[in-house]
Amino acid sequence: MSGASTTTTATEHSDGPLKRFLTRPEAPALIFLAALVVVLSVVADGFLGASNFEGILSQVVVIGIIALAVNQVVLSGEIDISTGSMLGLCAMASGTVAVAGGGLLFTLLAGVAVGALAGAVNGFLVTVARIPAIIVTLGMLYALRGVLLLVTGGTWVTGVPAEARVLGIGSVFGVSLPIIVLFALFIVMELVNRHSDWGRNVLAVGGNRRAAMLAGLPSRRVRFWAFVLVGAAVGIASVIYIGRAGSVQTNAGTGLELQVIAAVVIGGTSIAGGRGSTLAALTGAVLIGVILNGMVLLGIPGVWQDAVLGALILLAVSTDVLRRKLLGDKA
Amino acid sequence: MASADNGMNGDGSTSVERVGIFALSGATKRFGGVVAVDGVDFDLLEGEVHALVGENGAGKSTLMKMVGGVHAPDEGSVEVGGEAVSFASPGEAEGAGIAMIPQELDLFPELTIAENLFVGRKRPRTRWGGMDWKTMKEEARRSLGSMGVSLDVGATVKQLSTANRQIVAIARALLGDAKAVIMDEPTASLTEREAEKLFEVIADLTASGVGVVYISHRLEEVFRISDRITVMRDGRHIKTAPTSDLDSDELVRLMVGRELKELFSRSRHETGDIALETRGLTREGEFEDVDLTVRRGEVVGLAGLIGAGRTELAQTLFGLHKADAGEIRIDGEAVKSLSPQKAMEKGIFYVPEERKSQGLISPFPISANITLSILDRICRMGFVKRGRERETAERFAASLSIRGAGMDDPVSRLSGGNQQKVVLAKSLAREPSVLLLDEPTRGVDVGAKSEIYRLIDDLAGEGKAVLLISSELEEILSMSDRIVVMREGKVSGEFERSEADQEKIMAAATGTKAGQTAEVREERT
Amino acid sequence: MSQYTETSRGFLSRIKFSRELVLLGVLIVIVIAMSLLSPVFLTLGNLLNTSRYFVEIGLISLGMTLIIITAGIDLSVGSNMALVSVVVGFSFLGGVPLPLAIVLGVVAGLAAGVFNGLFVTMLDLHPLVVTLGTFAMFRGLAYGFSDADAVSSFPAWFAYFGQAYFGPIPGQLIVFVIAVAVVWLILSRTRFGRYVYAIGHNEEAARFSGVPVERVKLAIYAGTGLLVGLASVIYISRVSTARGDAGLGLELDVIAAVVLGGASIYGGKGTIAGTVLGVLIIATLRNGLLLAGVPSTWQLFLLGVLLLVAVFLNEFFRKEEG
Repeated sequence: MSGASTTTTATEHSDGPLKRFLTRPEAPALIFLAALVVVLSVVADGFLGASNFEGILSQVVVIGIIALAVNQVVLSGEIDISTGSMLGLCAMASGTVAVAGGGLLFTLLAGVAVGALAGAVNGFLVTVARIPAIIVTLGMLYALRGVLLLVTGGTWVTGVPAEARVLGIGSVFGVSLPIIVLFALFIVMELVNRHSDWGRNVLAVGGNRRAAMLAGLPSRRVRFWAFVLVGAAVGIASVIYIGRAGSVQTNAGTGLELQVIAAVVIGGTSIAGGRGSTLAALTGAVLIGVILNGMVLLGIPGVWQDAVLGALILLAVSTDVLRRKLLGDKA
Repeated sequence: MASADNGMNGDGSTSVERVGIFALSGATKRFGGVVAVDGVDFDLLEGEVHALVGENGAGKSTLMKMVGGVHAPDEGSVEVGGEAVSFASPGEAEGAGIAMIPQELDLFPELTIAENLFVGRKRPRTRWGGMDWKTMKEEARRSLGSMGVSLDVGATVKQLSTANRQIVAIARALLGDAKAVIMDEPTASLTEREAEKLFEVIADLTASGVGVVYISHRLEEVFRISDRITVMRDGRHIKTAPTSDLDSDELVRLMVGRELKELFSRSRHETGDIALETRGLTREGEFEDVDLTVRRGEVVGLAGLIGAGRTELAQTLFGLHKADAGEIRIDGEAVKSLSPQKAMEKGIFYVPEERKSQGLISPFPISANITLSILDRICRMGFVKRGRERETAERFAASLSIRGAGMDDPVSRLSGGNQQKVVLAKSLAREPSVLLLDEPTRGVDVGAKSEIYRLIDDLAGEGKAVLLISSELEEILSMSDRIVVMREGKVSGEFERSEADQEKIMAAATGTKAGQTAEVREERT
Repeated sequence: MSQYTETSRGFLSRIKFSRELVLLGVLIVIVIAMSLLSPVFLTLGNLLNTSRYFVEIGLISLGMTLIIITAGIDLSVGSNMALVSVVVGFSFLGGVPLPLAIVLGVVAGLAAGVFNGLFVTMLDLHPLVVTLGTFAMFRGLAYGFSDADAVSSFPAWFAYFGQAYFGPIPGQLIVFVIAVAVVWLILSRTRFGRYVYAIGHNEEAARFSGVPVERVKLAIYAGTGLLVGLASVIYISRVSTARGDAGLGLELDVIAAVVLGGASIYGGKGTIAGTVLGVLIIATLRNGLLLAGVPSTWQLFLLGVLLLVAVFLNEFFRKEEG
């Protein structure tokens, strides 16, 4: 690639569709997912089949919804590892409202409001108080769990009424409602990412914060709303969670933050920010679902789940390094 | 958008009554204790090209950043259209019609060219409210087209060469309806042909009444396209005059503040054996098939445009990057898998171009900075011997006359020139036999500059081999025994000091005149 | 200005911003408050007894201090502790003599640290991502190897590591004091320590000055793994059980202590003295609140808030200084 003259520079990019696809952030994850599906179809009995696929998807709905939002935070160059405790707190709030007979709408509102508030605290501490996001959200992971235990005094919420559980166990035309919610949110996020100023600004701020500031972008506001979005998404996810479980324990959501981050980075969104896609987050979540499902079908004990998950995170980020090297992306 | 068809109307502009676009008066800017700009007046008229010249560190960029909304002046005022303004951000300045062309680094590598042009701007929308990507691409294509460039606007910026990134950065600034455009070294990484295109764009702009501030080191360009020239030196305003009233020699004298002969000191030395030699050294995408020799007691100047691969080559010689092919010989002995530690053992040291980010540990005391490269020599059992450290640091600080702070003060307290001397002290403490100096006088005041030149001369006199990378042609021409020119990663010319001049070097660096050594080399056996 | 005013101003500002001094003040205030809350608190017996509980966190904090000074982080220390615990317990259960099992465990801790270090240096990945991965992986390996079971059939002599007393002084306190001295010496007096700070302030400039950045980082992560191994053995001995959920949430305590002690997550800043004070403050708070009958749920909340306040003050003062 030489920039000797304008005539040669014009041909600089003429890549084929394959190379274009390979430069997409989620490409390695998609290829890996396809390969895994093929392998599992052959070796694991019962993998192929509509009900199993539905099972896989329902398993990752909560992770997937939150990952779609955390994806935006990561794209903006920050991180949020407080979502596990946040889910617990939101579930407790929405569960309490549901048990009190609030109906689906108020249940949802309660979850989203509490989540958005917690997200706003994260966003405030990161963008205004300027504490690094990893510290803020690590602190909040514990502080929110503490709040949850304090408020409830350690008691569970049980007996969530059926009308508030629709999002978790309902179905439309035979498709389970949680999965519809996941894909609806995916489409919304894709639109936001492609077609809203905020969505584009997130990528710009995460890609080059200095340049973004010079271009006059409100870098802090952009990042603040990403954290609030995570809170709102956790709120929605919490309603699905209580709908499914019918009750909330004080340890609800423990360890979830890790699976969410895993989904985002395995999918191909760069932890450094500025590079990634909505599809990456979804792909990552589905990939985790397929792996966990495959482990069950192959009879691998559940105790190894974390080990596999951790190894996959490392594998995903390592292949990203390799891909960058192969494509000669030295920047 | 200006889209006048008369591409070349450069000199048709005689000075009629022109309206002012903006004016700075008594502008002052301090950074910590250092006064970067000191009470400078500057104005720009409609339809003119006002060149702003001065050495590195003279305060040109800082001055313009006060108009561009990046810095607020500590003293003095900024007026636009006769009204006092204070811009809180570059966005506000752009809203007032003042566009500053950012460096290529201020782009978004993961975003497409089209989108880069629209970051921070109102993006076009379709009827149903979505992003209108089609219009964005069309506008981007048109904007690039007005510069005579056609690039795939759907490609991401990270795929582009340095020169093309520069073009995108310019296109980005021109997209808005600017009344004034500030260009800071826009041709630094452009080839001759691309630079010509840029001059045409500038001619179009001025013809439609836009004013252009043109900051450049290339004086021949300045004389060719500017209507007025302002000279700055050490943060102060020296002179503003119509271009026709100045000549090249006088301009240089104004910039430097004394005759060039006094600034540079270079004496003749006997050169010895080959100390450093490369054969076919290649690092993909950066430099290719480089043959280079540096002898003991010799200063070899390495000239070329920004992005020609000079820095990458020097850093590879210091073991910071791995070469893909070719070999490096030190004192005639081939070395494999070089690392900085190994390079240092072999007597090579690299003085980086970015003082702050690569040369210094700013919060460290001066002494610790100087001794960082020789800790292994002043330690016993891994413990730093404080007395030895202090003694060594003081010795080198004295020999380079580092002034302005004590040995225990953080190095950030020193002026730019003295900081650079600390970087040099760190490399000299290692007693290297081959020194790779990458822009050693960038952002350094004239006094420190001449001291550094004397130092380079002394080092050559002691029999050290020096590779001097510089973008200042005067520096290269005055200090080198031999000059090697690189273009797009390849050696495109080599000259003895006696046969070299500015034109020859620029020709080799930009690849205008064919039939030079470059062509012969490229068509290898 | 005369030399005198120059130095006296320097002296004043040093007092004003010496984080260690501020932390010492905070520690004293906490101790006084706790002794008011609980009469048992301020007794030598209780204080020494408290030390049994913070040594594990303290040991790991020493390594974490160096990691954080280089602008890195290690989220995997708690999981690594579980891994060591399971290696010791289950290799012993599988017939390996206990002394050898202990060695195997410490080696496993070291290997885990080296694993982190290799990913960080060879692949140039952000330590946050790497250790987030190993955070899950080490824990998973621990659960996998142990099949979520526990081992507690250790011989009586094994209790020595975590339960022995020399007079009134718990054995592990002595280990901790020695470790503090060693790491302090390394960080403040040696070439290696200088390299650590140089990397933290400006990794690129350090590399350009010939600092073997990769080797130094690898050594730091490996050393932290070794300290985790050591801490884990003490922990197993103290609780007489080896299991896969050992050290759950430990990384937060450790990072909180280090950051509270003045280390900056952005690198370059941090001292062993500060970290030790940070460890003491957290341990005192926990113990005092426990004695005062404050539920452990509060402790979790307080720890999270404390971490945030500490970092906020750190960055706030840093800006004032700058």
